[in-house]
Amino acid sequence: MDRRHFIGNSAAAIGLLAGFSGQAKANLQKAEILVIGGGYGGATAAKYLRLFSNNTAKVTLIEPNPTFISCPLSNLVVGGSRTLSDITSSYDNLSKRHGIKIIQDSVTSMDPDKKTVKLASGKTLRYDKAVVSPGVTLMMNSIEGLAQANKAGVTLQAWKAGPETTALHKQLASMRDGGTFAISIPEAPYRCPPGPYERACQVANYLKHNKPKSKVLILDANQDVTSKGALFKKVWAEQYSGLIEYLPKHNVVAVDAKTKMVKLEVQDDIKADVLNLLPAMSAGEIAVKTGLANSNGRWVNVNFLNFESTAQKDIHVLGDSIQVAYAMPKSGHMANQHAKVAAAAIVAELSNWEVNPAPVLTNTCYSFVNDREVVHVASVHQYIAAEKTFKPVPGSGGLSPAPSTLEGVYAWGWAHNIWADSLG
Amino acid sequence: MQAKHLKPAILLSIYIAISHWSGSALAQNTDASNLYKSGLAATCANCHGTDGKGVVDGGMPLINNLTSEQILTQLKAFKSGAREGTIMPQLAKGYSDEQLETIANQLGKKQ
Repeated sequence: MDRRHFIGNSAAAIGLLAGFSGQAKANLQKAEILVIGGGYGGATAAKYLRLFSNNTAKVTLIEPNPTFISCPLSNLVVGGSRTLSDITSSYDNLSKRHGIKIIQDSVTSMDPDKKTVKLASGKTLRYDKAVVSPGVTLMMNSIEGLAQANKAGVTLQAWKAGPETTALHKQLASMRDGGTFAISIPEAPYRCPPGPYERACQVANYLKHNKPKSKVLILDANQDVTSKGALFKKVWAEQYSGLIEYLPKHNVVAVDAKTKMVKLEVQDDIKADVLNLLPAMSAGEIAVKTGLANSNGRWVNVNFLNFESTAQKDIHVLGDSIQVAYAMPKSGHMANQHAKVAAAAIVAELSNWEVNPAPVLTNTCYSFVNDREVVHVASVHQYIAAEKTFKPVPGSGGLSPAPSTLEGVYAWGWAHNIWADSLG
Repeated sequence: MQAKHLKPAILLSIYIAISHWSGSALAQNTDASNLYKSGLAATCANCHGTDGKGVVDGGMPLINNLTSEQILTQLKAFKSGAREGTIMPQLAKGYSDEQLETIANQLGKKQ
């Protein structure tokens, strides 16, 4: 390096460094942080951006729904032992207690170059940092005829908790005794690996007490049950013998809304009275539209230290939309954990601090096998710097030995606490 | 411009650069380190509440009134297998002893 360059660099360094201490706080306070999507990931990110910045960061949350309706536990609403109000929370505390600006609207497009987002209402907002947590898109076109059948109200997915959840219970309640409730499962990865099997239990529990001549048919595109397999199969044999029929390697490719016939890739067609067909899933629509889904066009690759998209700078993506690390489930609990790592990293970056080089994630997932008994799966994931990914810690985590009512109490305890942690 | 006229400027540059760097690095580490600790403790918040303040009568065992020492004793007992449980023995085994200590210090009731 010659002297001229050295001086030039030194002067630049002094300029930068002199600005650091004062600038860092200013950066954090001035930055416009937009959180897109108020589910388990986005709501938690908004709250923890405020907490981790000692309430100095400017945070705006954009969410189309007026209230938070939990996907975890929504299978109890499908089965009829709970109602939607039991799993609904308000967003009010995020603004009242934590000073987050909430805009009830949806983002129609993002411009990563101009760093702006456009809302359905027509408004354009600028951001310095965006947190994108849009959940999943149900790829209705992956099953021929599904979009039309859904539009006609013949098949409901209810994979995003809300009015469809209640409507699916109504279909179950009005089904004749002796009827068939068919649920189909796409190839993994999809949102909530044990969710479809838990739903089968909840539907069977309802049928057992109300329409015992009926049955639940599980059409699974996967080779075997994708989560808690041994536990679910034991429950099906012991509690729902003759009520649940499990068919692995049954990939649904088409549905006829008029006849309620389901076409399978390999096996003969099947007819059912209530159809709950879950199509393949991808990252939420806004992530795909913005070009963030750079893993097979479906999921978003992120840097696991700060959850920044590898496709676009200053867009951090959380939850079900990401291409997961090994053994990392697409769950609400995991989205909440992603959010905390991302929030801390954003606060660190805007403060000119090094981002935590060793973040940790946990997952806990409870499944109700009837209206009281529960089984869990749990895991701890540590960041492995050499591999730039999270891995479950060998010897940690695990499953319940058997369903229990104690874990039924803990499952509701988990729900009340995670809702308070994300929204309270 | 001749080199000899630049020497004092270079030295000043280096001095200022070093003093700013070390000064800000110290302050940064202190705050960044606190942030890392808060982040680690937040891995427990899903079940035990933000900052260890769980929902009262929510169904989950509360750690709200435990001291750091009491929390650490229980975490170690879960990790070693001395204390049985449902999820906690499985989760405690996923953290290093140092991480458990940090968590206990963060979440323990301040006397």
